[in-house]
Amino acid sequence: MSGDAGSIDLTGFLTLTKREVLRFLRRPSNTFAPPFITNVLYFSVFGVILGERVGTITGVPYILFILPGLVVLGAVSNSFENASFSIFHGRWNEYIHEVLTSPLSYAGMVGAYVLAAATRGVLVGGLIAAIGWAIVTALFRPVPVEDPLYLLAFLLVITLLFASLGVIGGLAASDFDDLTVMNQFILRPLVFFGAVFYSLEDLTPLLRDISLLNPMVYMVNGVRYGFLGVAEVDPRLSLGVLAGMTVAAVGLDVLLFKRGYGLTD
Amino acid sequence: MTNALEVENLRKSYGDLDALKGVSLTVPEGSFFGLLGPNGAGKTTFINVLVGLVRASGGDARVFGHDVEADYREARDRIGLAPQEFNVDRFFPIHEVLEHKAGYHGVPRDVAAERAERALKQVGIYDKRDTRFDWLSGGMKRRFMLARALVTDPDLLILDEPSAGVDVQLRRDLWDLVTELNEEGTTVLLTTHYIEEAERLCDEVAILDRGRVVTVASPEELMDRGTDRVVIALREPPASTDALSDLLPGDDRIEDVSLEEDRLVVTARQGGLVAPDLVRELDRAGHEILDMEIKRTSLEEVFVDMTRHEEGDGRPDGDGVDGDVDDEGGNDRDDDAPLETAATGGREGSR
Repeated sequence: MSGDAGSIDLTGFLTLTKREVLRFLRRPSNTFAPPFITNVLYFSVFGVILGERVGTITGVPYILFILPGLVVLGAVSNSFENASFSIFHGRWNEYIHEVLTSPLSYAGMVGAYVLAAATRGVLVGGLIAAIGWAIVTALFRPVPVEDPLYLLAFLLVITLLFASLGVIGGLAASDFDDLTVMNQFILRPLVFFGAVFYSLEDLTPLLRDISLLNPMVYMVNGVRYGFLGVAEVDPRLSLGVLAGMTVAAVGLDVLLFKRGYGLTD
Repeated sequence: MTNALEVENLRKSYGDLDALKGVSLTVPEGSFFGLLGPNGAGKTTFINVLVGLVRASGGDARVFGHDVEADYREARDRIGLAPQEFNVDRFFPIHEVLEHKAGYHGVPRDVAAERAERALKQVGIYDKRDTRFDWLSGGMKRRFMLARALVTDPDLLILDEPSAGVDVQLRRDLWDLVTELNEEGTTVLLTTHYIEEAERLCDEVAILDRGRVVTVASPEELMDRGTDRVVIALREPPASTDALSDLLPGDDRIEDVSLEEDRLVVTARQGGLVAPDLVRELDRAGHEILDMEIKRTSLEEVFVDMTRHEEGDGRPDGDGVDGDVDDEGGNDRDDDAPLETAATGGREGSR
């Protein structure tokens, strides 16, 4: 025995979290280069070239309007991808058995995978914000951060939510193609129809109502509120709903681990 | 003394396939216990139930008194597993993989680093500590699997085919190391295809076949159940065995008497004990003995005999699990049961 259950769980949780974080930090060309290049292109094409024609939306330059949405897009997709890939790759190559055969509690296992994946989401979101800040500052004026606490709270909640959804994706996938399908055909459309590149006011009433069913709308809206202090939906409501969804998703993760879904025969 | 492992009526079904059909076993603490069986007998399924990679369909399994499901954390903390498959984290150099594994078991970082270093030295691949698993040779990979099992300082070391595909020197190195650990108090549960391995290392072996325990006994006891051959050269061998039909009348240890190239061949259980009686009877009958040799049965022959299946008995090749309906137990320890009874019991249950 290595100690009491509490100390095993804490040390085990920290070890697994560290392992998960090191896995992506040691591969910066995989982790940070793709979002860097992609977002430089987004800001250049949509923000600078098209932005000049669009002018302003909700009173702010178009490039500034899309910045929060691009931060959300990077943060949630990286959180989701990290958790789903790590779980599925571990299942595929069976090295997740190193964790599963350990005395770590199921909550400890889930907590580590989710926290590490959310960390990646926050780091990538921060990188995208820095790219946007640099471009916007060079072209117009310094990017405002009207409510940093809201910004931080939204970033944490949405990355934790998508990390925990990524755990489910990693458990449910039966092939690497399934991960691609989840990201390209579910996650990305939700983000693009989540009012990243347009205002809800530009939609017809019907489309606006339909858009409000998309949880991405609340995330983009919340992060935009943090940056610009402008929101189309009450940010407190958005934060509350998203926090509730996160708790439910993490709870489901723990239940799935406990039942061995996708993990045990 | 606490038992390292207590398993009662353990069952596992995959749909209609019964991989474990009510396995019951007790492994005393400190013992070196072998689990023998042909491919698909259920050995790996059995082990995976203990470590939480397979969920049992029924029955109980306890590791040092801890139920593997209800007290899974305590049970898993006592076990070090070296599985047959190379299920190793490929992202990190091997010393970090060991440190992580120790960390999952609650070992603080500095102690984990010391243990990783010690385990790599124990298996002789310390100079490869900064290499990733994929870059190790086959033999080194097998050594690493043992190091990973040892890094958590387990009380029950489970080795699933540890010497599969390794050369003789490495196999002997592994045997020496595991024997040393066992002598220091670690309970060892070994599954193997190498009968020599079980014969040489194990205090006790269980023969598992088609998800059932056929028998549990020491290697010596098992060999006693097999049939030995006593080969005797006579100065004037008889033309037929008819003249020898009265040799040791009523001795049920003798199964057959035959002549092979002028040599008398007596097939009997416990040949070493039968031989002196035979010599005495032959001498009394006036035969002059020139030479005598006792060919003892091997554990391998006993094993093959116990797990032999007749053609067309429904057993699929390779996967070894079949669709028979479990008939409750029938697999308990039967140390004293004669070979035929034990083997027949196994066959009957699968008809």
